[in-house]
Amino acid sequence: MKTIFKIATLTLMIFAVSGYGFSAAKAENLERGIIGPVGSNVSWSGYSVIAQVPGAGLIPVTSTTTVFYLGFTAGAQADVSNMVLYTTARGSSTITAVTPITLGNISNPMIDLASATVCPVVEISTFNPCIVRLDPTKITLSALSDYYLVVYFTASDSNNNAIGLTAPQFQQSSLRGSYESGDETRLSVGGSIPSSLSFSNQPYCLMYVMTD
Amino acid sequence: MKTFYNVATLILMVTVLAVSAFAQEPGPETALVNLTEGQGAIASTGAQAWDGLSEFVLIPGASLMGASSTTTALYLGFTGGSEADIGNMVLYSTPRNGSTVVKVTKVLLGGSSSPSINLTSTSVCPIQPISATNPCFVRLDTVKAALSPLDDYYFTVYFTLDTNNEKISGVGQSIAPGALSGWMLYGDQTRIGVKGALPTNENSDQPPYFLAYITNQ
Repeated sequence: MKTIFKIATLTLMIFAVSGYGFSAAKAENLERGIIGPVGSNVSWSGYSVIAQVPGAGLIPVTSTTTVFYLGFTAGAQADVSNMVLYTTARGSSTITAVTPITLGNISNPMIDLASATVCPVVEISTFNPCIVRLDPTKITLSALSDYYLVVYFTASDSNNNAIGLTAPQFQQSSLRGSYESGDETRLSVGGSIPSSLSFSNQPYCLMYVMTD
Repeated sequence: MKTFYNVATLILMVTVLAVSAFAQEPGPETALVNLTEGQGAIASTGAQAWDGLSEFVLIPGASLMGASSTTTALYLGFTGGSEADIGNMVLYSTPRNGSTVVKVTKVLLGGSSSPSINLTSTSVCPIQPISATNPCFVRLDTVKAALSPLDDYYFTVYFTLDTNNEKISGVGQSIAPGALSGWMLYGDQTRIGVKGALPTNENSDQPPYFLAYITNQ
């Protein structure tokens, strides 16, 4: 009887291990990200970058998590005060949900762009942009909603005066973006995405939206 | 000791069964799906003397639509000419949004990387003569590689310096480029090695001239 239990336990373990191995998902695009070579736009102290992730642009890939990737082209350190993801109904500017976005579990990270563990190819440039993967957000993007990722770079900060963000040159991405002076990460549910913002261009900084 | 052998036998059986189950070939009904968005409307402004020119086409990893496939099929579209003489075709891989080549994969047609495509043959182009309204799409040999969203790819085709290629024209540059963008350069640009740098795209995000679709088969 003891042997049977041993065998049963072993079989279960084998199935568990093999199941885990075969179910390991690979990263897939949730939106068409930034395409082609990038340019650079510098000096972001005291500015918020706002990237629109339109529900209408979602690729039908099922995922319970969403991962955002930020692109940097210059600077030694990016000081972020706050990052959030606003949800609105599709085509609406009224915020229905606010989700904190983090890097290393904090929403106000300092990103060391001179570190080879953060940016494998140093010195970063438009030729070798540094792509920073934020923490996975436990949110399933819906085609019925629009999303706005907002990153506010700390004001009066010499580091942020020297940073460069990726500036798309090609126009084929589904992502759109804008920017504004001041902290736009403090809007609440029921508030509105500022009407002064135009999302006719592609976003600075946000490069990809993926499952992992 | 007997128990040990029993357990070992069981492990072996379970492993064999698991491998066997996961190694099943996909059914023959696997649907044809786009790996990225190809060109829409056909414009046929890809007309010029292509002899001695290469076309580069960026296939961005950021545009891949999540279709699971271990193979990639590339389609060239022609709207004019009687024969296209290709000197060489390759698929460069680079890091996403990067320009340094990390891998070079040969692309073939009929097992050859330097095929001559007979555009007046109905077995190649069923509707004759080919034109912007009757474009001829040629499916290249399936590349046995999966495209990754973490990489970018550049399909490069070099048209031999000969009189046939003076008269060919492609389906681009359409007004609906999808996710693809392409540009042309003089000379054979298919010989760049790993760690080499791709030439600068001076044509921005214009649609490709010849590459029309990228599918799983």
